[in-house]
Amino acid sequence: MGLDDLLNLFVAAILLAGIYTTMSIGMTVIYGVMKMVNLAHAGFMMLGAYFALEMSQRLPIDPLVTSVLAAPVFFLLGIATHRSMVRFVPVADEPTLPSLLLLFGLWLVLQNVGYAVWGADDRSIFTPLTMATFRFEGIVVPVIRLVVFGIALLSLVALHLFLHHTWFGRSVRALTQNREAGQLAGIDTGRTAMLTFGLGIAFTGLAGALLANLYSFTPDFGGSFMLRSFVITVLGGLESFSGVAIGAIIVALIETFSILVVPASYQHAISFILLVVVLLVLPGGIEGLLQRWRRLR
Amino acid sequence: MSAAPASRTTSRAAYAVAALALLAFLAVPRVGIPNNAIRLLLTTFLWVTTSLAWNLLGGVTGQVSFGFAVFYGLGAYAAGLSINGGVNPYAAIAAGGAVAAFGSILIGLPTFRLRGPYFAIATIGVNEAVRIVMSNLEITGGASGLRLLQAGRFSQAEHYYAGLGVAALAFLVSWRVTHSPFGLALRAIREDQDAAADLGVHPFRCKLAVHALAACLTGMAGGVFVRYTAFIHPDGVFAFATSTSILLMPVIGGLGTLSGPVIGAAVYSIVQEEMVVHFPQFHLLLYGALLILIMLFEPGGLAGLWRRLARGLRGRNAGGPGEGIAAQQQLTGGGS
Amino acid sequence: MKNTGIGVHGGSRRPAARPAIVCIVVLALTLLGPWGSGIEAAQGAGCPDAIRIGLVFPMTGREGRPGTYQVEGIRLAMELINAKGGVYVKECGKRLPFKEILYDDQSDQGRSVQLVERTMSSDNVVAVIGAYSSSLGQAQSVVPDRYQVPWISPGAGASTIYSQGRKWIFGVLSPVELLGYTTMKFLGSLVDQGKLDKGLKIAIAVENTDHGKEYVEGVNRWIKENPTAFKVVFNESFQLGGTDFSGILQRMKAANADIFLSDAHLQDYIAMHRQYTQMGLRHRMVSYGARGTEEPARKALGPAADYIFAGIWWHKNLPYPQVKAFVQEHKKKYQREPDSYYPSTAYDSVRILAAAIESAGSLERTAVRNGLRKARLTDSLLPGQTLQFQENGQAMTPFVIVQNKPGDKVDFVYPEDSRTGEVVTRIPR
Repeated sequence: MGLDDLLNLFVAAILLAGIYTTMSIGMTVIYGVMKMVNLAHAGFMMLGAYFALEMSQRLPIDPLVTSVLAAPVFFLLGIATHRSMVRFVPVADEPTLPSLLLLFGLWLVLQNVGYAVWGADDRSIFTPLTMATFRFEGIVVPVIRLVVFGIALLSLVALHLFLHHTWFGRSVRALTQNREAGQLAGIDTGRTAMLTFGLGIAFTGLAGALLANLYSFTPDFGGSFMLRSFVITVLGGLESFSGVAIGAIIVALIETFSILVVPASYQHAISFILLVVVLLVLPGGIEGLLQRWRRLR
Repeated sequence: MSAAPASRTTSRAAYAVAALALLAFLAVPRVGIPNNAIRLLLTTFLWVTTSLAWNLLGGVTGQVSFGFAVFYGLGAYAAGLSINGGVNPYAAIAAGGAVAAFGSILIGLPTFRLRGPYFAIATIGVNEAVRIVMSNLEITGGASGLRLLQAGRFSQAEHYYAGLGVAALAFLVSWRVTHSPFGLALRAIREDQDAAADLGVHPFRCKLAVHALAACLTGMAGGVFVRYTAFIHPDGVFAFATSTSILLMPVIGGLGTLSGPVIGAAVYSIVQEEMVVHFPQFHLLLYGALLILIMLFEPGGLAGLWRRLARGLRGRNAGGPGEGIAAQQQLTGGGS
Repeated sequence: MKNTGIGVHGGSRRPAARPAIVCIVVLALTLLGPWGSGIEAAQGAGCPDAIRIGLVFPMTGREGRPGTYQVEGIRLAMELINAKGGVYVKECGKRLPFKEILYDDQSDQGRSVQLVERTMSSDNVVAVIGAYSSSLGQAQSVVPDRYQVPWISPGAGASTIYSQGRKWIFGVLSPVELLGYTTMKFLGSLVDQGKLDKGLKIAIAVENTDHGKEYVEGVNRWIKENPTAFKVVFNESFQLGGTDFSGILQRMKAANADIFLSDAHLQDYIAMHRQYTQMGLRHRMVSYGARGTEEPARKALGPAADYIFAGIWWHKNLPYPQVKAFVQEHKKKYQREPDSYYPSTAYDSVRILAAAIESAGSLERTAVRNGLRKARLTDSLLPGQTLQFQENGQAMTPFVIVQNKPGDKVDFVYPEDSRTGEVVTRIPR
């Protein structure tokens, strides 16, 4: 494998990390404030993908542009979901099993909605941009991945601004760190939870819409991506937003470079094995590791 | 913590009833019941087995596993390979259970260090990893699946009895465990693992033990299954959908009880058969909606509903969403 | 605050009578359930008023589209036969129409077996036609010998299904092994004609199923017979149904081959070739086994699908009059032409079943099965125009090689006598 090939792999990994971050942020945000693991994550990603499909078929605008519309639409969808069922699950400091099973049930329902509305055929979004490649000094990059990376990056910048420069953003961070203290400080936890859930689903839907431009999908799309999100979220320390980016880069690098040693047919197993290993070895994630290191100095 | 005083006579009645039930099921193939019904009963027995098994781990001990198909598949493959190797079919089924139990220890050793939901998520990962590995392992047939070499005439009754046997075993084991000190320890772990440890229970060892027991039963069900279908495939026995089905049944029926998993399995079986024939496109919706409704309104499942109705007839009101979970928390005295 | 989880108490203190009673009641319900729905009049004396055929196909799920196309082919055949009154059954002294009993197995093996068992045991069928795709075929094929009901598959081509000594199964699809062999034979003929150099390098990437394995077996069989013609430099398999093929494509890129041979299902072919193109991969000749000409693929891949060649069981441009008639009838009933081979093998399964019933003169299952063993369709839609089952139950019709040309065109390029255009041996940039 020449240097060119390795560089290609590296670039591919970084581009992948961008979309992985967007996808995992949705899960992290919900976990941070509500301490719930969103098992319906895959279902919302799938809906995001079909949203992109519908937009591409109905509007003459490039699907990558309309994918961005997924964010506000899914924000509202997230709020609706919260109001109708999620808010009834009692709060806790750790994810509870009723919340797990409730969201899992929701995932099953969403899958069926997908099958009922769009059928079980594989769908994909093809535009003139799909096959275009950008070549630079021996590095071949599909243009579409570049654009998806760009949109993902923009969404993360928007999130960062939001979390650090708005009152709501700060209350989200506060509740993530310590719920009771946040309540004492006067934050309306119910409303914040609702809006946070909406925010999380917004990112999830956006990620799904972006991924629809890269891969084909069916109504059971999203399962493997959801598990990758778990890995990334845990790697990132479960509650740290910047940690998610680090986690995404690590996972993307491992997945991309694993092809050098692992036969093609075993590659799907990598994210799952990674999940188990990470849960066991690094429960505090990278952030936890860094914190412990800092404390030791 | 002893049983109510009236239990002695009712226990005898219980044994009598159970014996009668067993006799009834033993008689089924001989009284001219149609093949289709026997097939359905066989399937139901297998589901009853996995349901009771999962309940031991998930309902009694509170460790929810999303990856039980691993043991079903391991049992099926182990039994299948043994049968192809000339081993007696019943020994092969037992071997299936043993291999599954061994697998459960390998899996449990690292994963039981994780608490509740993290354990659950880890089991999803394990499930998928095993499925992919089995899809590629040539010795077990890989993605072509495993074919059983056909030997002898096909006797549906024989398979039926094997299924009945495994289900009866599962029922017996569940019954004994729930009424034993071990069962008490398991329930203590479910309520508060740390407090249980303080009281002298060894949570890790207990979890491993019940996991092995549940895996063994599930593996045996897998063995009966492979003998019947004569062909298994990683995307079938190791599927995440299979794990989902296995966990749905006890949840729907009522976790932690003895009758709950059985009810859940029977309901699932019948509903599944009818749905597959008439409404194949709605089964996910049905189960998902059931899960949601159960979690919001009646976490005790159908068995809990029965109990609630029984109480309701004596004058208590049912509440709205969330009341189910909140009521449950009150019953258990809440957390700490 | 601790997690209280779900969990219901009291089960331990209750007398076990209640659970036991509940168990009995519930399991009794299980009995009554199927009892009500499953009992049909036994197949006894007297002629029924229709020939009941069970159909178990994936209409939804991963294989939903090809499965639906196959059922469409079956329905077309039955409709045309019924329009003439049906099949003449000597024992009944009259013509009887076909009646279908259709089940959707949702591309799930467990359900597939469940439904075949159900239909064979309680639907009173004369025969069952079922299973698109070899894995569903493997699962279903266990059942016919048990219930002694003839079973025909128009969509399962893996020969391992038919090599297990079963007596009641029949397959209309020619073995995939022959597909691999024919592909190599075609490439070899190009070397003989001087259109390809000797010793070119071949990369093989197939799905990790029976289908893929048998394809490679066929390829290897030819290479063993002709060791100097080509050199295999890469041979790996990938997981069926994956969405990301960049791993295997990267590894293949490093092998620097001249010819790329793959064997994949339709969706994987589309996804893989899309990524192949995006990664800038190139080979002189490219084949995806039996895939290439399908309309959804050409639409999705555009010019990237040009010059791909495929070994196919059937194509709508085959120059036989019965094929033209079939395409016309298909268009009339479904407002579109048949895509790929799916409806054609299904259509012929019904026709050969009708021929078998007629020659058997009865609807008795063993007689029908024996009729199928001897049946021979001489106006088959398939290449060679003759359809009959070998000793093991599988048919063996020859393959034709086609190549995609720009502008949604397709040329037959092998065998020589069916050639409609020049083969392109170096895909232009």
